[in-house]
Amino acid sequence: MSTIRVRSPASYWLAVPAAAWMLGVVVVPIVLLVWVSLWGGRTFSPASPLTFDNYARFFANQTYIKLAGTTVMHTVMLMAVTGVLGYCIAYCLVMKVRSPGWRLALFLAFIIPFWTSTLIRAIAWVPFLGVNGVINQLLMSIGATRSPIEAFLYSKTGITMAQVSLYTMMAAGPVVYMLSSIAPQLREAAMTLKATPLTVFWRIVFPLTLPGVVIGQVLVFLNVMSDFATVATIGGNKHALLSNLVLLFYESSQIRAASVVAVLLMICMLVGVIIALRVVDVRRLGVER
Amino acid sequence: MDSLAAPLEVMARPQLDLELRGIRKRYGDFTAVDGVSLQVEKGQFVCLLGPSGCGKTTTLRCVAGLEEPDDGGILIGGNEVTKDPPWQRDIAMMFQDFALFPHMTVAKQVGFGLEMLKKPKVGIAKRVEEVLKAFEISALADRKPGSLSGGQRQRVALARAMITEPRILLLDEPVGALDYSLRETVMLELKLLQQRTGISFIWVTHDQNEAFSLGDLVVVMNHAKIEQQGTAEEILRRPATAFVASFVQGNNVFRGRVTGTSPDVLQVETSAGRFYVPRPPDPAPMLGDAVSFSVRAEQITDAPSQRQANRLTARCTAVEYFGAVRRHIFERCDGEVLKYDQFGAHAARIVSGQTVQLGWQVEETVLHTGAPG
Repeated sequence: MSTIRVRSPASYWLAVPAAAWMLGVVVVPIVLLVWVSLWGGRTFSPASPLTFDNYARFFANQTYIKLAGTTVMHTVMLMAVTGVLGYCIAYCLVMKVRSPGWRLALFLAFIIPFWTSTLIRAIAWVPFLGVNGVINQLLMSIGATRSPIEAFLYSKTGITMAQVSLYTMMAAGPVVYMLSSIAPQLREAAMTLKATPLTVFWRIVFPLTLPGVVIGQVLVFLNVMSDFATVATIGGNKHALLSNLVLLFYESSQIRAASVVAVLLMICMLVGVIIALRVVDVRRLGVER
Repeated sequence: MDSLAAPLEVMARPQLDLELRGIRKRYGDFTAVDGVSLQVEKGQFVCLLGPSGCGKTTTLRCVAGLEEPDDGGILIGGNEVTKDPPWQRDIAMMFQDFALFPHMTVAKQVGFGLEMLKKPKVGIAKRVEEVLKAFEISALADRKPGSLSGGQRQRVALARAMITEPRILLLDEPVGALDYSLRETVMLELKLLQQRTGISFIWVTHDQNEAFSLGDLVVVMNHAKIEQQGTAEEILRRPATAFVASFVQGNNVFRGRVTGTSPDVLQVETSAGRFYVPRPPDPAPMLGDAVSFSVRAEQITDAPSQRQANRLTARCTAVEYFGAVRRHIFERCDGEVLKYDQFGAHAARIVSGQTVQLGWQVEETVLHTGAPG
């Protein structure tokens, strides 16, 4: 077997297909997006002068600012819920399920739904949450409520429930990986040094899984920020987040405004990722054992 | 004398740091520890010796509380702790690969045990500093384990375990992960440390050189059971079972049946010939009983006289040199190997391929009185 040295001509040629693909589907569209968002003037054409007017117009509108605030708050809340829930699931899977067969089966049960598209999974929640939906039927049959609860569908609660179910495994996955890479002897060593199980968790297990938690949070953050499908299907037309604003502008042919929101959304996400990378050096994951 | 005032009971039974009463541990169909009983006196250095899978590590983990025995009792310092979790036991443990916490600096790591005992912060910092100095790792205080060498890790692990001054220190193959050249130095240091502190050490190893050079008490285990326990000399000189004899280097093991008895001597017929072994006190083996016995390689001579009543003829297949010892490997008439060690620098008398008569004294023959392995 031969190896290719990092800076040899061959290694550059081998990188060409991937680089071309990235250039075509990521870099060029983003440059176009930023360019369009800066178009001024009255006509929609490449000849337009470049200004920050579109951005100024966005920031001048209180409704949009409030919507941006709501979006961030909603995302942070979801990160908290999926983070805690995902950690618990990961912990149970790795630490409590002893049989490797069961662990694999449960893990698959959790991730197989991810094989369908986000849109389909979001729509699948409608029959669950509706007035005659599964959850209401169940609640009424056990006598928890007399009349069906309308607040599930086309509401903030419904959106949150659906998104929690969609993104919890994203928070859990990296934690599963980090948890299973902790040598059992570390916990045992802490116990022989008089640490109680709770202390072992907070002082040994949790710090060692922190990179996994952060990566999971980044995944949830990115997905919730850009998730317009769930908000649109479960929220009806009553609720919107920043990403729905992009769709709204796009559908009404306000391409410049849509670009502005898209660019701002992208900046938000970048800032989020940069903050996360400051907390944990993802590139050094698993090196220090 | 003060001791006269002490209660009789205490005088009759010296204080034990550890007592195992017939502990048993099963994993499904596999029995890992099968009725192990052991008494460790205060400040004793005990080595659990045996091949891998013999149950020595499981025994150690039971003492630590990391495994709960299915049966039997564990007493530490006279207190029953069988069901107690590890954090309630007066022990510390050093793990085979040291199990250092990758996210903690050496200083934090070493202070962890004291922190868990809820000692005041100032006191911890001072004590950590002292201990790091004593173990000559002060320079590493702010480093993390990832950047340490094997020898440095070993010191950190030891400092971390010793700082809480436990009654018993459990060591699972503590030098197994070190370079061969480092091992002897570290072993000597650990022995001196143990003698200075008076903490009981329970050292698990598969290396008999470690066990025999360190242990006040050596416990040989095989197939989940204790085969023999005693001083290094007792185990080397008087192996109790065929397993111990063959596990310990330098023994020649024979198996056969008793074909004659007298008040002092048993006659045993083996596939390699007829031999005489000293008759043990009753209950001695009877006529027709299956027995095994052994003779050490250095007790054999290649010029047997009247005194060497046990004799056999064998062909030399190889000669090996170990410093002061020249070891001859022979093939017995039944195809088994016979080892014969010659000390001193005198000229080689036997060459490979040569057939010679060998012999040894009946008194040097050790009948295995334990259950045949």
